[in-house]
Amino acid sequence: MTDQPRRRRYSIGVAIDWFFFVFAGLAAVWLAYLSFTETFNVGWWGIAVAIAFWVLLAYLVLPRLHRILTTVYVPDYFIGRARTSDGLLGDPVNLAFLGEADQIHAAMRAAGWTQADDVTLGSSWRIVTSTLTRRSYGEAPVSPLFLFSRQQDFAYQQEVDGNPAQRHHVRFWKCPEGWLLPGGSRVDWLAAGTFDTAVGLSLFTLQVTHRIDADTDIERDHIVRTVTAADARVAVSMLRDFSTGYHARNGGGDSIRTDGDLPIVDVSATKEVTP
Amino acid sequence: MTEAPHKRPAFEPASELLKPVSHDPEMKRPPSTVAGVLLVFLRVLAGLIVVVSILLDWRNTLKEVDVSVEGVESSPELAQAALIGVVILLGVVLVVDAALALFILTGHNWARVTVMAFSAISITGAFIQWWSEDQEITITGSLLTLGLDILILLALSSRSAAAYARRNERL
Repeated sequence: MTDQPRRRRYSIGVAIDWFFFVFAGLAAVWLAYLSFTETFNVGWWGIAVAIAFWVLLAYLVLPRLHRILTTVYVPDYFIGRARTSDGLLGDPVNLAFLGEADQIHAAMRAAGWTQADDVTLGSSWRIVTSTLTRRSYGEAPVSPLFLFSRQQDFAYQQEVDGNPAQRHHVRFWKCPEGWLLPGGSRVDWLAAGTFDTAVGLSLFTLQVTHRIDADTDIERDHIVRTVTAADARVAVSMLRDFSTGYHARNGGGDSIRTDGDLPIVDVSATKEVTP
Repeated sequence: MTEAPHKRPAFEPASELLKPVSHDPEMKRPPSTVAGVLLVFLRVLAGLIVVVSILLDWRNTLKEVDVSVEGVESSPELAQAALIGVVILLGVVLVVDAALALFILTGHNWARVTVMAFSAISITGAFIQWWSEDQEITITGSLLTLGLDILILLALSSRSAAAYARRNERL
């Protein structure tokens, strides 16, 4: 085809976007500085201004700076970790799946897991009301984490005693077509399972977040055990010492310990999938 | 003859950052776009309050107006005309601002870039006055309007707002 329009490799519009992205980040740093100095000039109102300063710093300024710096410094290929929306390293990838999306959905539901809602205005409002009224919200959304530069395709969770602060959860990403794990194994899905232990203030990002259990192996083994117990046709093989070298912190600053094994859960034998 | 393998650079090329965004007309409107539009409407509301306070206090405001153009005598009629001119100009700016906000809400990128450019100019002006002329920026003074401008710029320049505004662009 000769009349096919030539694809440009860069976009001027995106360059303009980057300019405003960085400009807004610098302006926000200045605004944080101004509101910080103003805290000491307005008497008791300083408390309200200080809270505004914290919200500004933790939720607008630092995320923007993280985003700019991680774009520069953190490589965007697979390093065994999901990334937060600010580009920080998030939960470790500790599970792999073989099979179609429908089979994974069926296997997870049969194992007693609930699919998490998408983050919308409605579900966000429900989190607030269910927290205030202490009602359980089994389908509460999970925060977006990124792998292959993509948000998770879906996530499953289990509540613990109707307590919104504690829950099991696991996020799933579909691997790109023809993509191989480091070492050459082929899997269809990668997943990151962690256990939220409490809600707290992260000293890493200064945001209020779920703290995760440092021993991510317990949660990984819990997921594998529930899925295999629910359906005998689910087969599990193990990549030993897949990520033994990774000991670090997640996006909220929680440390992570793991023996590094990567279970590959094969659900492709569970049922015929109608295409 | 075998060709020597090319050495790969140790950094990603900058053009990698400027790749066109993906084409996704079905994209849902992200919260950042909604927040940006709400903030622009807040700015319009703040401007409306200024206009209404001028109109309600017309006589006193008129006394404070001091038209001093070279070669022209300052007179009450001239002050009156100047104030009417200012109010009309403010009104037009507010209407345009509100219209731009609606265009952003429906996902027009030119409106987003226009609003961001004007916010950036206004922030730069405030910064220059603060830095080189030591103008105070206090919470009772210009901090609120400056903060509004910066928050608008932050919301509209976010990646999700940009992706939404460019969702119809083809590679």
